[in-house]
Amino acid sequence: MDSQLTASILPPAAFLLPILGAIVVVPMTRSSERMRAIGLTLVCLATVGVAVGFIPGVLDGKIYETYLLRLTPRIWMYMRVDAMGALFALTASVLWTLALIYSTGYMADEHRKSRYYAFFMLCLGWTMGVAYAGNLLTFLVFYELFSILTYPLVVHEETPEAMAAGTKYIIYILIGGSLVLLAIVFTFFLAGDQTLSSHGLLSMDMGKGQLLAIFWCFIAGFGVKAALVPLHGWVPDAHPAAPAPFSTVLSGVMVAAGSFGIMRVVFNVFGVDLLGQLNVMRYLQYIAAFTVIFAAILAINQDNLKRRLAYSTISQMGYVALGVSLLGEQATIGALVHITNHAFMKGTLFLCAGLLIKHAGIHRISEMRGIAKRMPVTMAAFAVAALAMIGTPPLSGFVSKWYLGLGMLDVEQPVYLVVLLGGALLAAVYLLPIVYIAYFKEPVQTAGTKEMESGGREAPLSMLGPAVAAAVLTAVLGLAASAPGMPLSLARLAAETVFH
Amino acid sequence: MEVVDIRPVLAPTLSFICAGLIFMTGRKAFWRRFWSLSAALLKLGVVMSMLPGTMNGTVYVFKLMDFTPGIGLGFRVDALGMFFAVVSSTLWIFTTIYAIGYMEPEHAKVRFFGFFALCVSTTVGIAFAENLLTLFLFYESLTIVTYPLVIHEETPEAFKAGRKYLTYTLIGGALVLIGTVIMYQTSGTLTLSQPGVLTLADGTRTLTVLFVTLIAGFGVKAAIMPLHGWLPSAMVAPTPVSALLHAVAVVKAGAFGVLRVIYNVFGVELLRQMDLTTWLAWLAAFTILTASFVALFQDNFKRRLAYSTVSQLSYIILGACLLTPMAATAAIAHIANQAFAKITMFFVAGAIQRTTGKTSIHELAGIGYRMPFTMGAFTVAALSFVGVPLFAGFVTKWYLSLGALEAGAWWFVIVMIASALLNAAYFLPIVYLAYFKAPPGTRLHIEEARPTLLVPTIVCALYVIMLGTTAEVPGMPFSLARAAVRFVFGM
Repeated sequence: MDSQLTASILPPAAFLLPILGAIVVVPMTRSSERMRAIGLTLVCLATVGVAVGFIPGVLDGKIYETYLLRLTPRIWMYMRVDAMGALFALTASVLWTLALIYSTGYMADEHRKSRYYAFFMLCLGWTMGVAYAGNLLTFLVFYELFSILTYPLVVHEETPEAMAAGTKYIIYILIGGSLVLLAIVFTFFLAGDQTLSSHGLLSMDMGKGQLLAIFWCFIAGFGVKAALVPLHGWVPDAHPAAPAPFSTVLSGVMVAAGSFGIMRVVFNVFGVDLLGQLNVMRYLQYIAAFTVIFAAILAINQDNLKRRLAYSTISQMGYVALGVSLLGEQATIGALVHITNHAFMKGTLFLCAGLLIKHAGIHRISEMRGIAKRMPVTMAAFAVAALAMIGTPPLSGFVSKWYLGLGMLDVEQPVYLVVLLGGALLAAVYLLPIVYIAYFKEPVQTAGTKEMESGGREAPLSMLGPAVAAAVLTAVLGLAASAPGMPLSLARLAAETVFH
Repeated sequence: MEVVDIRPVLAPTLSFICAGLIFMTGRKAFWRRFWSLSAALLKLGVVMSMLPGTMNGTVYVFKLMDFTPGIGLGFRVDALGMFFAVVSSTLWIFTTIYAIGYMEPEHAKVRFFGFFALCVSTTVGIAFAENLLTLFLFYESLTIVTYPLVIHEETPEAFKAGRKYLTYTLIGGALVLIGTVIMYQTSGTLTLSQPGVLTLADGTRTLTVLFVTLIAGFGVKAAIMPLHGWLPSAMVAPTPVSALLHAVAVVKAGAFGVLRVIYNVFGVELLRQMDLTTWLAWLAAFTILTASFVALFQDNFKRRLAYSTVSQLSYIILGACLLTPMAATAAIAHIANQAFAKITMFFVAGAIQRTTGKTSIHELAGIGYRMPFTMGAFTVAALSFVGVPLFAGFVTKWYLSLGALEAGAWWFVIVMIASALLNAAYFLPIVYLAYFKAPPGTRLHIEEARPTLLVPTIVCALYVIMLGTTAEVPGMPFSLARAAVRFVFGM
């Protein structure tokens, strides 16, 4: 399918708006919590507006592009909105808006709020930049900024655990970033400055050894962020340590940015044909499949709720990598749409976990007995997301797994159906007991829980609202998956451009 | 196109006259400041007035005098010299303003500012030298006029550092002189106006001896290991002097000398044929990594910065040794990129010392809540050294990596990346201490350095960002670097 390039000034707006929010709105509203909440929500909504605004055009086959500034000779900062990027940006901006509104409630009694909000908004800006990056260097710029400048959010609590998690995070991320840089330098050297188009930048005549080296540098570099086992070490530590709204975007979008990077590498840097010739995707399939199962098994034994969810993220991102590595159209659709679906499912779970922490003082699953009686709405949202994660139709998780399954049959690799179903089964094993404990176990009075001391049963609307909204989105993404303009249509378009 | 013009000689002379005026009238604070700033501004004005011409390919020359036929003092402004002159005279303004603020409570200010202005004069002389003899004369003068600045505190420690500084640099100077003589004997000319004057016919052994002599001579100031010993000791000097040593003049003069030797004395083609630079590239790579390792363990703030300088300077040497256009661009551009980032860091170290009296890194916990702007500037410089995109250091890292691949030496890319990680390991903990290790209950309580210290710091930090984002804008240092590379590689 031919795509028309359309010059547009809007792609930079997608990352400039949040940055303006960070450097203008946050300092201006230091004195008033309320003004800050309203101002930043408006900024986030405007960003969502930009992201949504591209969708009709992109679905019509348009590609919006902007030449931004000439970074070094021969290399432009170049933004380009294609279907894959549009989908990721849409996911990121919507989830971020929910997390921001949630933050206004969650962070109310926290310290150093200006720092938190400023970096939270900056981080959205960098993420939008990653989504719309049109060439490798632009991608690298935003990817590095967003990896490094996330540190203050990871360590926000400034507890010893948070500081340790932060150090671990920054070491993993810097080494991963270096590998990505190494691969990008190599690619640039071989292919020059080229747009991330659907045909791939590299070709077989560049030497198999070099291509393999580049490929594994990329996979290892992005794999750190995408939490491929054995590079996942920072994930289970960073999530419990960070504030819940940030865990939400960390899991939903930022880990996914690593998977997004892998997709860019596979589809836009190498291209499907070249990888077919190189015959390396088998190994990535093994790694991804192992990640799915291994992380899910580890998740079962975690008693800390956010830690269990973090392992679940690792496992779910394994699905995305697996879908990509199969190099089939259906599997790719499944992988792309799973990024979006996972963002809202896991978003819901983390937002609910935050509600439990803030409102009931519950960190551990064993403390959740009977909590559904006190917080029925929260736990209903949690249950919906848990069911979606397992892949129950008609919720969103089912859609992505359906496509992944079709894709596995499509490329004649039915053996991975075992992984797909095994992962789903394990998800049931690590998520359903939580729901069960919350609904059917009798509450036990323990000293550790803030039993009933906060008066109201549910958390305030500013926190409950986003959690419920995310749960509703999870259902809608499943029920209305095939409606025009939904993520699935973007994913199909993206897969079509790559494979035809 | 060569144009005879008085300005190349005017630039050092004006600063020289101002230095004289400082010695004569400098007892009064007003005149001392007036002449210091005049020296800096006049020099910048003269240099900048030649910039458009240089960008268009005009080469300004001025022959001052001949001692004997063929040997004399001559000035010539080409792109490489212009690059060095622009960087050092821009930084000079900020250093002067900073020095005025910093030296307020110090003694012997006339001596300090007088010799300070003399340094400006000699640095431009080095940049604009037409031949190796002129270069040598100014290189040696720089050593001598810097000495009173290094020992300014007049403590036993300072005198010791001064002795060490003189011993190292005078031996280096002697080697440069020997090299100059050998060059004249071999080729019959000392000019630096060609992309290489020597040929293979001059004899491999002579050429090897000459190369090693000149590189060792300039390598002392460029702090190539194992010739770096003076640099960490010299950090006892007042902060503006550290800025001068580390960013503006002294070490850069050494690196600039190495570039002249590689590009204008030998030429890229000859060095490629003789394969003379490989060992130097490895030595530079060794220096980059070893100095970074040593830096990791320094608790004295300025000492850690000093070892970082040793490491960073070898980026320039490494880039020059790879003998490819992109690596050369990186090497030249790094003169500016390192200078602005490192001067920012030294300004920060000095501002913290003057404002709070703290000199060790472990004392800096929570300083970000007291001096947020100063530490903000430090963070920018640190990210630049780590090589985060959009900051100056990234441009170097990017081009140097590509240049290494161009030369078919991918292992240097690994060195670059390892070094970037080491930079992260010794700079980011400082940022971390400043902002995240605040004692509990610390609130934002701004007690910033005085404006004369703060403003130059922030402006230099902004420059770091500008260098990282505007590499393509004509007239920015990067375009000069490329013009120089085009000349050297005959493109």
